[in-house]
Amino acid sequence: MAEKDESLQTCMLPLSRVKTIMKSSPDVSCISQEALFLAGKATELFIQSLAQVSLEKSTDKKSLQYRDLAEVVNSIDTLQFLQDIVPKKITAREFFEMLKQNEDEDEET
Amino acid sequence: MAERPEDLNLPTAVITRIIKDAIPDGVNVSKEARLAISKAASVFVLYATSCSNNFAMKGKRKTIAAQDVITAMEDMEFDQFVEPLKNCLEAYRKGQQGKKDQKKKSKEQTDSSKYHTEEGEGDAGSDVEVDDNENEAEVEDEDDEDGEQADSVADSDVMIISDASSDS
Repeated sequence: MAEKDESLQTCMLPLSRVKTIMKSSPDVSCISQEALFLAGKATELFIQSLAQVSLEKSTDKKSLQYRDLAEVVNSIDTLQFLQDIVPKKITAREFFEMLKQNEDEDEET
Repeated sequence: MAERPEDLNLPTAVITRIIKDAIPDGVNVSKEARLAISKAASVFVLYATSCSNNFAMKGKRKTIAAQDVITAMEDMEFDQFVEPLKNCLEAYRKGQQGKKDQKKKSKEQTDSSKYHTEEGEGDAGSDVEVDDNENEAEVEDEDDEDGEQADSVADSDVMIISDASSDS
């Protein structure tokens, strides 16, 4: 029980760094110590769940690859805010095809 | 304030450890995936901060409080984090209370023996529930007494010096 309490009330991530990131956001003036701790904890939970969900999506369940993450980020609505951070990889050929398609559409309009 | 852009990244070693703890042993996580998760975590912090700050501003408060972070999680549709976070907050508050009590105890001890060395803050007293305000008042009183004593000592020092100077 004591050990469980310990893991609940300590954050693995360095709170000083979490604070730096939070303070880099505009309009933020003060952050209470409790809020900082919770933000750190929430990020920890977020990393865990992102890793777990991505592994479930992965094809072989033995390794976690970038494409698994990108797949998850692009298929789950709540992770939409990450779409620019973890974009799906496309080949150069696909990119040029998309480019050409766009140009064609532009010409039509 | 962040001086370097890398100050906005979370340490890779810690991220790797959290990922390892979350998934079964023997699963290989590619370097690219780890980097992506790390970046995602940083953005998550910013997103959570912005949401929490909105709630704080709605409440016309300048400081982001713990409740703002929890409400933000609901707003971000990470409802599954709400319960664990509430538990963490409770444990954290208990831990802080325990630390406070421990500090007071060591302070009282050192005050009575007149040794002003801080003893390490342990968590042993985390289960002890003491009325906070009452205890704080006591400690403050003792502090005042200490201050008066120090003043009187200083006064006598001045007296001695002035005596010596009048002699010469």
